Amino acid sequence: MKWVLSGIRTGIHTTAYPSAEERAAGVTPGLPVGTALGAEAAVLAGRCPTHALEERNGVVTVDYRRCVHCYRCRPALAWRSDYEWAGSGAGRGELSGPFLRSTHILVVDAGDCGACLNEVKQLNNPYYNMHRLGFFITPAPRHADVLLVVGPVTDHMRVPLKKIYDAMPTPKRVVAVGACALSGGVFAESFVCGKGASTLLPVDVEVPGNPPPPLAILHGLLVAVGRKPPATLASGSAG
Amino acid sequence: MLELIVAYFALLGIGILLSLAVPPARQAGVLAWTGCFAAAAAVAAGATALLAGYGFAQTLWTVPGVATLTLRIDALSAVFVLVTGLVLFPASIYAASELRGHGRSFNVLLLALYASIVLILIAGDALLFLLAWEVMSVLCYLLVVSGRHRENGAQVGSGYLLLAMGEAGTLAVALGFLLLALGAGSMEFDALRSAASGLAASARWSVFLLSFFGFGVKAGLVPVNTWLQRAYAAAPRAFAPVLAGATLNLGLYGILRVNADLLPAAYAETGLVALVVGAASALIGILYATIDNDLKAMLAHSSIENVGIVVAAAGAGMVFQAVHLPALAALAFIASLYHMVNHSLYKTLLFIGVGAVETQTATRDMDRLGGLIKVMPLAAAAFLVGALSIAGLPPFNGFVSEWLTLQTMLRAAELSSIGAKIVFALSGAALALTAALAVTCFVKVFAMSFLGMRRLEEERRAGEAPPAALAAMAILAVLCVGFGVLPTYVIGMLDPATVQAAGAAATQALVPPFFAPGAQLPPAFVAEFHDLGAQVGQGVLPGPGLVVLHRGGQANPVVFAMSTSYMLVVLAGLLGLTWVALRLWLTRERRLARGERWDGGLRRLLPEMTYTATGFSNPVRVIFDAIFRPTTVEDTRETVAEHFRNAIRREKERVHLVDRLVFGPARTATLAFSRALAAMHHGRINAYVTYAFLALLIVFAVLPTL
Amino acid sequence: MNGAQLKEHIERTWPGQASCRLDAEARVNEVTCEPGALAALCGDLFHERGLAFGGLVVEEGREDWQLRYVFYGARDSGWVHVRVTAPLAQSVFPSIAAQAKVFAADWHEREAEDLFGVHFEGHPRLGDFVLHDDVWQEDVQPMRRGFDAATAMNNRLPDADWRPRRVVHESGAFMMPVGPKFSGVTESVHFQLETVGEDVIRSWTRLFYKWRAVEKLAEGKPLEDALLLAERFAATTAFAHGLAFCQAIESIAGASVPARAQTLRVFLAELERLRQHAGAIQEICESTALVVATSQAGLLEEELLRVSGALAGHRYLFGLLAPGGLAADLPGDACRKALAQAAGAVARLDELEGELAISSSFLDRIEEVGVIFPRTAVAYSLVGPVARASNLARDLRRMQPYSRYDAFAFDVPVEEEGDGYARLRVLFAEARQSLRIMQQAAADLEAGEVRAAVTPRPGAALGWAEAPRGATLHWVRLDDAGRVARYRIVTPSFTNWHSFHLAAEKFAFQDFPIILSTFDLSAAENDR
Repeated sequence: MKWVLSGIRTGIHTTAYPSAEERAAGVTPGLPVGTALGAEAAVLAGRCPTHALEERNGVVTVDYRRCVHCYRCRPALAWRSDYEWAGSGAGRGELSGPFLRSTHILVVDAGDCGACLNEVKQLNNPYYNMHRLGFFITPAPRHADVLLVVGPVTDHMRVPLKKIYDAMPTPKRVVAVGACALSGGVFAESFVCGKGASTLLPVDVEVPGNPPPPLAILHGLLVAVGRKPPATLASGSAG
Repeated sequence: MLELIVAYFALLGIGILLSLAVPPARQAGVLAWTGCFAAAAAVAAGATALLAGYGFAQTLWTVPGVATLTLRIDALSAVFVLVTGLVLFPASIYAASELRGHGRSFNVLLLALYASIVLILIAGDALLFLLAWEVMSVLCYLLVVSGRHRENGAQVGSGYLLLAMGEAGTLAVALGFLLLALGAGSMEFDALRSAASGLAASARWSVFLLSFFGFGVKAGLVPVNTWLQRAYAAAPRAFAPVLAGATLNLGLYGILRVNADLLPAAYAETGLVALVVGAASALIGILYATIDNDLKAMLAHSSIENVGIVVAAAGAGMVFQAVHLPALAALAFIASLYHMVNHSLYKTLLFIGVGAVETQTATRDMDRLGGLIKVMPLAAAAFLVGALSIAGLPPFNGFVSEWLTLQTMLRAAELSSIGAKIVFALSGAALALTAALAVTCFVKVFAMSFLGMRRLEEERRAGEAPPAALAAMAILAVLCVGFGVLPTYVIGMLDPATVQAAGAAATQALVPPFFAPGAQLPPAFVAEFHDLGAQVGQGVLPGPGLVVLHRGGQANPVVFAMSTSYMLVVLAGLLGLTWVALRLWLTRERRLARGERWDGGLRRLLPEMTYTATGFSNPVRVIFDAIFRPTTVEDTRETVAEHFRNAIRREKERVHLVDRLVFGPARTATLAFSRALAAMHHGRINAYVTYAFLALLIVFAVLPTL
Repeated sequence: MNGAQLKEHIERTWPGQASCRLDAEARVNEVTCEPGALAALCGDLFHERGLAFGGLVVEEGREDWQLRYVFYGARDSGWVHVRVTAPLAQSVFPSIAAQAKVFAADWHEREAEDLFGVHFEGHPRLGDFVLHDDVWQEDVQPMRRGFDAATAMNNRLPDADWRPRRVVHESGAFMMPVGPKFSGVTESVHFQLETVGEDVIRSWTRLFYKWRAVEKLAEGKPLEDALLLAERFAATTAFAHGLAFCQAIESIAGASVPARAQTLRVFLAELERLRQHAGAIQEICESTALVVATSQAGLLEEELLRVSGALAGHRYLFGLLAPGGLAADLPGDACRKALAQAAGAVARLDELEGELAISSSFLDRIEEVGVIFPRTAVAYSLVGPVARASNLARDLRRMQPYSRYDAFAFDVPVEEEGDGYARLRVLFAEARQSLRIMQQAAADLEAGEVRAAVTPRPGAALGWAEAPRGATLHWVRLDDAGRVARYRIVTPSFTNWHSFHLAAEKFAFQDFPIILSTFDLSAAENDR
């Protein structure tokens, strides 16, 4: 009984997203915004450890799949403090129909550092409460509609990840979460790491960030089922 | 109908002679043909006796001044003769295919056993009964130890135990018959029956206990069942189905013959004893079956369980008979006989199935089997029918008899004695628990042996069972389904036997004639059931109807009702509709994709990573630990440098409850006693002379007083 | 025994075979030892002197192997580095796990054999540790200088018949595989539980599914890039690992970090500890399916993540550290605001602890479950809350204070039972102590620089920190160009995973995930 009272006393903390924007402090680390910098652009682009910054004609463009939040490009580049970052991948369209409000997600750790996984875990806490949007975590691929991959896909996890993907019934979508799953992140050069989930599976939704905050992952899931349009953050082209 | 009996024995005689004459290659054919024809004759005899009401009484041989040997077939015998025939038919087919390594002696012994079984069933007097019983016991022993070096090293010990305990049982039975005969002056059953009413209470109890536990040895009642699990496990594959399907029933026949026919219960207490012993046997039997991993030993324990149910129902019948509730007594005896019939059918089926598995895989250990459904699908299907039947699932035969038994237990509400009600309630609870454990046990058996990953070594080539085994199993499977789906006809067929046992007909009470228009049923009652479709089949199907129900009094017009016939129709209909729906609507646009089983992302799922039978039944082991009381034989840990573990070896040993509580102490006491007596044999001549002198003194002193 | 006494004892007991060089200021005793005396010496240090075994660092020199066994004790004992060398062609050393019964070294030796090809004589379980035998053939040795990744990856001969070793011999025993994908949101780890039914008789853990070869990747990298790896290989405790790395660099460069930076470093490290402990508490409640407590703890974890994000710009405190101090300053107001929010969170944690302490259904599931005995904790040199719950009062902040920890007053909570509930109580108590330290740090924030210049120069040093999960050691060697030549990371999860199987045994399947959650282990931290 005390638990019931304790719960009632705590009150409701759930975010209004996606109906309204979430503005609390600390919900997102933000991402850099491509800017025209003139002569310094080339120097700045060279400083990025994962080659996420490219310089073309004095304009710095950002490949969001590679940004690992090292913050070396601050304060030269402006910083965006939103969280709706998920973009489309290979493009099989969204899962619509019955999955719009009831989606079962299988989370596979393909070598992540723990931060992306922890952010995914936060989706179940009262602040985000993804159940209210119809998202559920399932442990078995046979019941899963969406495969959420974190990590750069280490060598030892290649076979398990492929088996997991094959065990899922169609229709299915793959959401790659985090810089490691999109491009390998800081581990891209390691000989036992892949350069992301797209080397092995068709990725439908890409959520950049290192780690992407829970709201960005939520946005990615909403994109996967078609309740939100994908973001058009520049990835490799003029931003 | 006498001709059919004569034909039976004649065929067996021809079979024995042919076996002695014919070369080994032809032995199988002799066994198959003569066994089948003889069995068919038995079926015909039993059927005509039951359905057409023919009986006969025939004097076989008169030894002047000593005894008259008579043959007699009445309804009770006919039921058992019919069942024996039904079982021996497929069993002969199967035994013929497993004759390799047995030689002509096996044939002779088996056919002689067939003869002795029916002789026991149609014996009309106690002397012929006992003679045939002895012959049957010895033949069983010889058959169990036959083929000993080829199949199983444990046979010799088990055979001796079978013989020894069998003889002890026979002795008890003989004493019982003698007590009955004391008052009657003759050994014939008719005479015994008429004299029985004049027996004193102590004599009645003695006869009951002697015959109950004496025949209980053969039937496998606790606490005299200790030989059964060993002998059944040791019996050669060709003989085990007959042992379980035909000879087991002889014990039940004996109990029913003496306690329901010759000496009907006058006190409720005798029935309660039977009820309690039956319920206890059922529970103990199924507990040990559930934790056993050896297919044959498990089936043996399961036989103990089923016999317990039969005896419990018979005990309930005796109670009702004693308190003058003949309708309920009839219900109870129907349940008892029905279960006996069902058990014979599905147990024989399962033993043949186990034999087929053993032939193909050379192992009976469920922990080492698995995935057999892919290599022997037909045998698996038949085995599944047997497993579903013994687990008591509708619409198979086991369901009907277990349901009737449990309903009988509930009828304790109509008893007046509180004590009897309590006993009924507790026994009913034990039987319900037994039913649940039976499901557990047979789910484990089927799943671990046939489903899942193959655990056998790669080199072992296991294929489909031979056609003989499949044919035998198919016959029995069809019978299992038939006896399950047409209970109203079976009850009608068994009824004459219950009339004899309970003194009342069950059919009227259990199978109301829905097919006959109007008849003696109240119109409102008929209308209610017609709304449920009870009249479907009217005019087309013979018999009274397809619904089994029990009519109570004014307050409770229908106590219980069920119809496995309609259940089958509905089940088939639902499955069919589902299949059609899937085909037409749900899979129209979708392909069927076959993938690997999900194994958590492992590279390779290995057989040692799948559940074993031991693991499956572990909860039962743990919950009933007080009954099993395992002792740890080994529990060692080997390590290298104290830290790197090489092996953890554990082994536990379980002694059967009955051995622990009854035979263990009895053996210890007997050995202690004989050790004490052995002190007398010290070799001193003087003492021996003194012993002789004392003996003479006693004789001269005591004798005059007698 | 203090450093000088240790030196004297060692040189007296193994004359001619072991010689010590004591750096009294750094409190490091560097012992150069002959391979023949290695087992006895290490055994003496571990069993007789009661030092903790920190880790084994293997370095491939130009002509020889250089092995460094790191032991540490309380403050005055300091660090003891036992160095052995052998020619490259002769890569056999005695196994101190087998020969000296220093069980804590077991996994270090297996890792060295897999990655370097160094053989440890007497160790019966070398192989199939980091490099799974069903993926890699033998003798790959990826950490060797001459390793050619392309050739190795293209010419693999996995063992198609690989099976896990079976230890339990009982009729009906089978292995229940768990993972690598199991449960809801968990890391990829594989367990084999040998059982005959419900109770786990023996449990075996297979890690390194997430092996990213961070130590290899770091070689040749400039300091800032190596720091990125240090922060991001186990990002739930990114700050602690980054701090240990920076301290190693500062030690090599001889740089002294300004006081403000030290204080802020302590503040941030404790904030991270608080947040990670809230997360661990949430995991424990979730494993027992106590939903309201899970939600309460989840609320607190998210709040602390937001506090961290608002204060530092990144929820996991990435990008704050730099060799020599901090990359950027944090204003005092922001710190005080964060402190107030953290205090509120700790107050609610206290409430939660009180409510859990009277939930008998919850306690039933974690009391007396998953026990690690004190002798096991000592034998495996366990670290962190797991060790402190088994009566092993080891905390690097106390034993070998770093940064400004010796200026602050705090307790190191210790429990005796070693069961799941003891570990939970330690987590709650440490959260309170973290707040206490944060309050002292925020009150003691003097104005000043937050970064000292650091010129990398060749050399090697050990950096350490008490991460939320326990002691972590980072050994860094810089080459002439100031780049990383060798980066060895010993993580608390690596140390504690070693003992996990013992806690899981003799309990039922259903207790397994609960026991796992009470250990707060990270596969990412272990696998690197």
